[in-house]
This record gives sequence, C-alpha cells and structure tokens, in this order.
Amino acid sequence: MNTGFDLYVSRDSWLNRLDPRTKLAFVGVSFALLLLGNHPALLAGNLVGVHILLWTARIPSGRIGWLWGRMWPLTLLILLLWPLFYPTGEPVLWAFWRIRITVPSVLQGVSAALRVDGLAFAVFVLLVGTDQARLVQGLVRLGMPFDWGLTLAIGLRYLPLLYGVYGTITDAQRARGWAAEEGSLVTRLRGYVPTLVALVIATLRLSDTLTLALAARGFQPGSPRTARHPLHLRPADWWWLGALGLVFSATVGLRLGRVW
Amino acid sequence: MAEPAIELQRCSYRYEAAIPALQEVSCGIRAGTWAAVIGQNGSGKTTLAKLCNGLLRPDEGRVRILGQDIAGQPVSRIARHVGYLFQNPDHQIFAASVWEEVSFGLRNLGFLAAEIEERVEEALALFGLEPYADHPPAMLGYGLRRQVTVASLFALRPPVLILDEPTTGLDWGATQVLLGRLAELHGAGHTVVLITHDMRLVAQRAQWVLILHQGRLLIEGPPRELFAQTELLARVSLNPPPITRLAQKLRTLGMRGDSLTVEEFYRDYAAVKGEAQS
Amino acid sequence: MRSLWEALFGVGPLEPVITIQNLHYAYPPLTAGAEAPPVLKGVSLSLSSGECLALLGPTGAGKSTLCLTLNGIIPHLTGGTFRGEVWVAGQDTKESSPGELSQRVGVVFQDPESQLFNMTVEDEVAFGPESLALPPNEIEARIDEALDMMAIADLRHRSPLALSGGQKQRVALAAMLAMRPQVLVLDEPATSLDPAGKASVLEAILRLRRETGMAILWVTQDTDQVPLVADRVLLLAEGRILLEGKPKGVFAQAEELRGRGLALPQMCELARHFNEREGTDYGWLRVEEAAHDLAEAIGG
Repeated sequence: MNTGFDLYVSRDSWLNRLDPRTKLAFVGVSFALLLLGNHPALLAGNLVGVHILLWTARIPSGRIGWLWGRMWPLTLLILLLWPLFYPTGEPVLWAFWRIRITVPSVLQGVSAALRVDGLAFAVFVLLVGTDQARLVQGLVRLGMPFDWGLTLAIGLRYLPLLYGVYGTITDAQRARGWAAEEGSLVTRLRGYVPTLVALVIATLRLSDTLTLALAARGFQPGSPRTARHPLHLRPADWWWLGALGLVFSATVGLRLGRVW
Repeated sequence: MAEPAIELQRCSYRYEAAIPALQEVSCGIRAGTWAAVIGQNGSGKTTLAKLCNGLLRPDEGRVRILGQDIAGQPVSRIARHVGYLFQNPDHQIFAASVWEEVSFGLRNLGFLAAEIEERVEEALALFGLEPYADHPPAMLGYGLRRQVTVASLFALRPPVLILDEPTTGLDWGATQVLLGRLAELHGAGHTVVLITHDMRLVAQRAQWVLILHQGRLLIEGPPRELFAQTELLARVSLNPPPITRLAQKLRTLGMRGDSLTVEEFYRDYAAVKGEAQS
Repeated sequence: MRSLWEALFGVGPLEPVITIQNLHYAYPPLTAGAEAPPVLKGVSLSLSSGECLALLGPTGAGKSTLCLTLNGIIPHLTGGTFRGEVWVAGQDTKESSPGELSQRVGVVFQDPESQLFNMTVEDEVAFGPESLALPPNEIEARIDEALDMMAIADLRHRSPLALSGGQKQRVALAAMLAMRPQVLVLDEPATSLDPAGKASVLEAILRLRRETGMAILWVTQDTDQVPLVADRVLLLAEGRILLEGKPKGVFAQAEELRGRGLALPQMCELARHFNEREGTDYGWLRVEEAAHDLAEAIGG
C-alpha cells in the first residue's frame, strides 16, 4: 500500500543527517534569495547548485525527474507567456502586428520560470531529506505547538487511507445502481452527494476512534513530552547555518546596494 | 444442468503495483447455489468478487453473469442482476433515515414509487428495522447498521448476491438471523456467494466452496470434500471447524471423519459405537 | 518472572488489580435535555494480576463501554453520568486522568487501521513512552522490550500501513506494552482479521499470559478460542453481568447464552448433544478433551 504523500528518501547522506531546523532555514534563505534575486544567471546558478546538492545526497534521479515532470508544463507556460504579456525595453527580437518580443522580456520570463522552479526545488530538498516525524519535531522545536504537529502528521498519514475509503464508498454506491456518468451536470453533481456524505461520516468516525487511541496511549494535549531522538545541532549544522546566514546577508546587502 | 450464474474464464487482474491480485482464475458457480469463497486476506477474494459485478474489469479473460458477458456493461446496469454487499456498512451509509437508505438502490434502478414502497416495507420487516424507519442509520449501533445495509441489498432482490464478510463483527444471534434470511432467498432460487472467514458457517450452509491462495484458485468443491484435504488447508493456514477436526482425529477408530455439524457427528458416532458393540 | 513483577509493581499475583463496584454509566444525550439510556447498569467485577478474564456478550451489551471505563476515557473524555467505583492498580479512575491511567492500563481496539498513526513501527511503539516524558535511553529500552515480546523486532522500520492485519494488531499490542501497564484490555482485537491474523493475535495473548504477570481483560466473540486462554468468563448483556465463573461453568449455561445471542464453543454444543441423548456428563470445551473421551468410549 502506498504510504501517501511522502517524498522522503531514506539514505544515510549528509542531507538526512542535518537537523531539520537547518533544512528549514535553507528553505527560508532560498526563498529570500529567489524572491530578491533577479538575474537569470543567478537563478539558474541556484537551480544548478540545488541539483548538485541533491546529487551529492544520492537522491535518485528518478525522484528529481518526478518533480521536473510536474514542473515543466508550468515552466514552459511561463517562458512562453511572459514575453507576450510583459514586453519591455530594447532590443526587440521579433515583432508582428501588436506583439513585440524583446530580449529583456524574454530574460525576465526566464527569471520568473527559474524562480518558480527554484522555489519548488528548495521545498523538495527539505521534503526529500527529512522524514515527516523529524520535520514535525523540528517545527515543534522552533515553537510550533506539538498538537499542531501531531495533527499535521496524522493528517498526512491518513490521507491515503481516506482516499481509499472514498474509492470503496464510490464502489459501494455504484454497486447499488448509482450511475455516475449519466444525466445532466446537475444530476451528476447531486449524484455525488451520497458518496460525499458517507465519506464525511466515515472520516468523523475515524477521528473518534483516533481520539480514543491517542488517549489510550497517554497523549495529553499540552503536556510535556520527550523525543526518542532529540534534535541536536551538530557542527555540520552550524557550518550550514553560518553559510546560509552569509548568503542571506550578502543577498540583502547586494540588493539594497542595487548591484543587480 | 443448471446454467452457471457466475462464470470466470481465465481471469487475471493486477492492481497498480507489480503483484497480480488474480492469476488465470477459472471457475463456475451454478445458479441457485450457496457458495463460499475462503482464503487469507490478500488471496484475491475481494478482487474475484468485484470482477463479478463490473467494479473491476479483468486484464485478461472473461466474466459471464447469467450467461452474458458483462464486459461492455456499466456497473449500474449489472447491479440489477448482481447485488454486492461491502464488508464495512459505514462505507455506504449516508441517508437521513433508514427508509431512505434502504430505498437507495431501488431509486437508482428506476423502480416505481409503489414498488419501492412495498419492497422497502418488506425489507424493513425482514430485519426488524421498522421501529427505526425514520432514524438516521449512521447513529444506530453497529449490528443495526449492518442490518440496514443488508436490507438495502435485499430490497433489490437480485438473482445473484455477493456478500463480503457480512457476519464479521456480528454476534452469533444476529449472524443466525442474517443467515436465516439468506437461506430464504436461497430457497427461492437466488444464487448466494459469501466471502467469509467463518468455517462453522461454511460447514453449516455452503454447498460449494472456493479456496483462493495468492491469486489462484487452489481448489473448489463441496465443503465435505475440501475439509478432508488436511494438508492443503494447513498449507494455506485454514482450519476446518472444530467438529470436523474432532471427526478427523477419530477416523482411526472407524468414524467417517468428515462431519460438518454436531448432529452429523453424533449420528456417525452412534453408528460406529453400535457396530463396535455388536 | 512473577517476583520481578512484584518488585516492579508492588502488587503480588492474585491481588485484585481491577475492582469495579456497582458501575452505572450513560453517555451524554445526543440532544440537550433528552434522556440518555444507561449503557452499564450496576456492573461489579474484579480482576487479579496474572488472570485472564474473557468478556462475552451480544452487540450493544456495553462491552466496549466497560473497556473505556478502565483507562479513564470514560468519564474524563466522554462526560455522561457516571456512578460507582472503578479502581485500577490502586487508583480511582474518577480522580486520575487518562494520561496517568495509561501507565497502568493499555487498551487495544478492534480496528487495526485507526489506532496506528505513526510512520514507522518504531515511532509507533515510542509514542507512548514519549507521551510519558521518559528519557530517550529508557524509551529505546522499552521499544526493544516490547518488540521482542511481540516477536516483531524485524518489523521495526516498516510502515504500519504496509503490514498485515495480524501484524498491525501486534504493533498495537507492542505500543501498549511499551507503557508497561499492569492491565491489558483487548476489545475484540481479532474480530476484523483473517484466520492467520486471528491465530497471530491468539498466540500473542498466550505469550503474554506465559511470560508476564499482566491482568488481561479480553472481549471476544470467538467462543471457540476462550477455553484455550481464559481463566474466567463473564457474560455481559444489556449493561449487566448475567454469568460469571470458570469457562466450564459458564458454558454449561447454554440456554442463557443462546437466549442472549451467543454461540457456545462447538465442543460444548457437542457435549450437550451427547449428554441429552446418552445421559452422560461431558463438559468438553476443547477438541482434545472430546477426542480423548470419545476414543475411550468407542474403544473401551
């Protein structure tokens, strides 16, 4: 059975060994860099850098390919549409009727696309190198209430199950003669109501049973807990945090100085 | 020779993962038979059942219901002929009242209002659900919810009924009521297919048993013959009911060793004891 | 093993670890002001360390409700009207929170899917000790102990989602054992499993009986298995205890049991059949007993 929305790749690589808080900082600084930076070369460099990081962390190319598989339509769309909608500056590459494709606008389109890809890959680095439990633990150490983290973790864990339940309910109603494809749009939409209601009821029952299970396991909201593997910032983490801090200040400084 | 109500010809099915759920299964269940499908979880029982009403379409092979290939037909049309009861009643209950829930199938299949009225009343009466007709079924206890979904199936009176573990979680009393009602339908000529883990039930009621193991049909036949195959059952971790195991233990003393019920065992014992004394 | 038990818990074997006196309970009404029918109507029972008590009863008798009173979920999380006394390992459940009681009572529920909520088996078993705020090395020790006891050490890194029903219930049991409870409450743990799963759970219970001094309250519908494991049997129907005693004695009351919608173990039915027709006094509960007696009867 699929274990749901889990990108995590279990390896003993430097990426996995980093504290989740460091990786969260990486995402934060990446976002800052990507949103403040403008030059396509810089943004491309960022993307290349991330790929090198992923490669050294021995993330299978299949996984990286998976993300590109989802990103390329959007990337292509941005590359094509940006110059059409934001023609600015000189020199003009090609003009036809009222459409002007200029070099600066093409470059801006490239930047925009690379920015979106960069954001996606920054989050990808976090998710692929951190298992859900550690991620929640990291967020909790940064101040998120444990209950929120538990809710998030349980939600992620049960989504595939609920998706399966939805499939079963759909089957059950179809086996009782529900013809999902027939009728007008209104009829078809109304036809989904029994399935959706049953799903809501099933979800409520599940949350009831989960509450009992949590209570039986000694869980008390707000009570102090320990962690089996407490998080410690190691030297590698401090190096990274230092480097990220430098990059961040440099980015802000250079931006303020209007270097680009 | 009665025409098979359900016939699978070399059917295979594979879910998205690489492991095949069903491999080249061929079987036939004659009309009017009470059949049981047994096997460990993951053996393909549910896959087999879902092939019979079109919820799943075989990757290879053909499925014929009441003589007709169901390949092109939508599930909603097949539902007229094959009723399917899912294991968990909470995976279908949605209505605001038991009456509405039990009439759902009938309304979908386009029955007339008068007919719906009559059939729902009948189904409610069969399962003692009249006092709850206006209650929301989701608020009833588990046993009652189970009965609501069975009543909903009964109201359709399909020629073929497939029930996926209908007695799991029910106490013995409720189980006997359910089996009694099924027996009445069976007596009226309906074909009943039960997926179950309850060997006592199989021994007591089933006329034909199919054993699935790892996606293949291991063996099929009357329960008496199947329960005698002790090594085969042991291989798939299935146990005959206690009475049959007892009978098998006493085979060396002259007993036939294939008793399916307490009454049968006693008759066999009395016969052997009588002979031993004479 | 038993003396270690005493050293750890200060309660010797055969001392009552659960005492329920005249328990009445009704869930809060669905609509304000309505009458809520009582689910438990004056239940009293006691369970000693090392004992296994099988709780039988038709659906709706109140068995699951009774289970929830033992770890404080009732009344603390459910509200409702609660009268009577429930004492678990020396603590009054009215005075202690479910969190505190979870160290003394572990509850395993029927549905394997909805009581496992972590990504790996290890994390699942660690969750309880983490909730008790135990130090990390203690948590590790308890995880090892629990996984070994349930013979699932090889499943340590697997996701609970990918396991079979029987394995899932063993994980649930291990997760409870990691809390080192003195009482284990099993609410129909094998009902939704296939035969292999049922056998796996039964074996786990037998192992717990052999190797720990825990008190076990086992709710089950499978009466054929009861004589293999239980020291005493209780019949709960409509919120009251109707029968109590050793398995032989309780199963001898066939009319009462059948009248309440319960099956006798098949060997018990056979014994009655024989006794009615031959005037014998067989009280078989297990296949081996019947085989032995009948072999003598035929041969001798």
